[in-house]
Amino acid sequence: MPATKPAEVLRACGIPCETSTEALGDIVRLDAGRAADAAAALYESGYDFLVDLFATDTGERIEVTWHLRAFDEHVDLYLKALVDYDGAAPSVWHVYPAALYPEREAAELLGMTFPGHPNPKRLLTIDGAEPFLRKSVLVRSAEEVRISS
Amino acid sequence: MTDDPKMAWAITAEGSQFPGPLPCGLRCIPRGVDELATEHLVLNMGPQHPSTHGVLHILVELDGEEVIAAEASLGYLHRGIEKLAESRRYHQVPTLLDRADYVSGLHTETAWALAVEQLAGIEVPGKASWLRALLMELNRYASHLVWLGTFGMDAGAMAPFLYIMRDREMLLDVIEAITGSRMMFNYVRPGGVVADLPAGVDAKIRAWLEVADTYLSENDALLGGNEIFRMRMKGTGVIDRATALAFGMTGGCLRATGVDYDLRRDVPYCAYPELDFEVPLGVRGDNMDRYDVRVGEMRQCIRLIRQLVDGMPEGEFSGKRSRVLKVPAGESYAAVESPRGELGIHLISDGGLTPYRMRLRSPAYFNLAVVDEALAGGLIADAIVTLGSLDIVLGEIDR
Repeated sequence: MPATKPAEVLRACGIPCETSTEALGDIVRLDAGRAADAAAALYESGYDFLVDLFATDTGERIEVTWHLRAFDEHVDLYLKALVDYDGAAPSVWHVYPAALYPEREAAELLGMTFPGHPNPKRLLTIDGAEPFLRKSVLVRSAEEVRISS
Repeated sequence: MTDDPKMAWAITAEGSQFPGPLPCGLRCIPRGVDELATEHLVLNMGPQHPSTHGVLHILVELDGEEVIAAEASLGYLHRGIEKLAESRRYHQVPTLLDRADYVSGLHTETAWALAVEQLAGIEVPGKASWLRALLMELNRYASHLVWLGTFGMDAGAMAPFLYIMRDREMLLDVIEAITGSRMMFNYVRPGGVVADLPAGVDAKIRAWLEVADTYLSENDALLGGNEIFRMRMKGTGVIDRATALAFGMTGGCLRATGVDYDLRRDVPYCAYPELDFEVPLGVRGDNMDRYDVRVGEMRQCIRLIRQLVDGMPEGEFSGKRSRVLKVPAGESYAAVESPRGELGIHLISDGGLTPYRMRLRSPAYFNLAVVDEALAGGLIADAIVTLGSLDIVLGEIDR
């Protein structure tokens, strides 16, 4: 475990956050606008590895998850922030270059942006493809599966 | 200065434009060929290219033979597996995941099963854990064989590929006897596995174990024992420790830089805590190290498979499973050490019959992101070898 707890690190930087420990692990929920500052502060405190970055449509907004890890101690931490549809969360690529691909992917598949990304092109889909990881984009059989139960 | 190439002759050595024809009657200033204006060439490698291991498209900016910058253009194999999983029931998802990493599907299936079991609190019988580990190791070996063969081909060695495919065939026969399929297994399910070891397969695995060491040594001698191959691999495609960690690289690519990190030992799952194995490490993180680490891993695989066959416990191969699996609302993350690195499944459930969100943390996706760093500054011929040494599978990258 890194010496300083994530909540204290963020509080010292003046970043408001809520921490909780759930079945998944330690989760820090914060304002999307401060995500890059939080990532930089947490990187300094020992969370030096970005395992993954992805976004989820909660039905009302988009939840972006940064899965961080203190690599040597193997302690995981999940940063979560909500953004509006077509909203923005700051890019953390300058802290974690590993975020370069997943940010492009999340942007195109959920319909949001990561300001500060050096190459904000589409990664997996072609121009004009709808952001299909949104729940409003239906896979036909999704309804069939749920109804047939 | 002028932008018109036809006027280039009229530019003096000082850079100012010479007015009119040269006084001595020459057509242009004799400046030799070393000042010949060269321009960078953008070369498209792929998406249909034998050395890009699938439908990968890489844009390389070249200055002569030297790579200035490289960018991977993905998505040619994007099927939206993460979206499709949201419309499948929990036991149907592995059929999709098999098609993500199609060279080592059992790892993805197991990661999925672990994530579901973690969230639903399903107990797995001991034998199921051992069967999973056995199948994963067999699959790891088969996957590394594919890498070894194609890597040799990237370097221009055709013969080893044919021998390696012969060896892989033996292994696929074993896997087929157990799972019923050569590639799309659908064998690991939440709660256990689909079937027990069939009668006679034990002898089949032991027959393979008899020759595995010899065959591997032969193949290694053909490639790694070749002085030309070694000279080409040494010092090319160097990825240092800091770069590897910054890009989220895992697996053999990370261990080749000397980082001692293997999920099988560090975050044990399935039967691994009871098994004895070593984690091969590299030093410099060049192509040779990545080769040596993977070949070392294959030797450990043989060791693990022997232990798994010898120590296979008696008992049930699957816990009691309900026909319709319901997973309580919540989130879970489970990861396994796939042949390419940390393969994680991040599962979000809303308590319904289908996953609310399934995120596949694909190791090759993160390993590939390093191409620009790894290829720039090298030669185009090395670029192909370096790409091969990363051991990418496009099904997993594009999902």
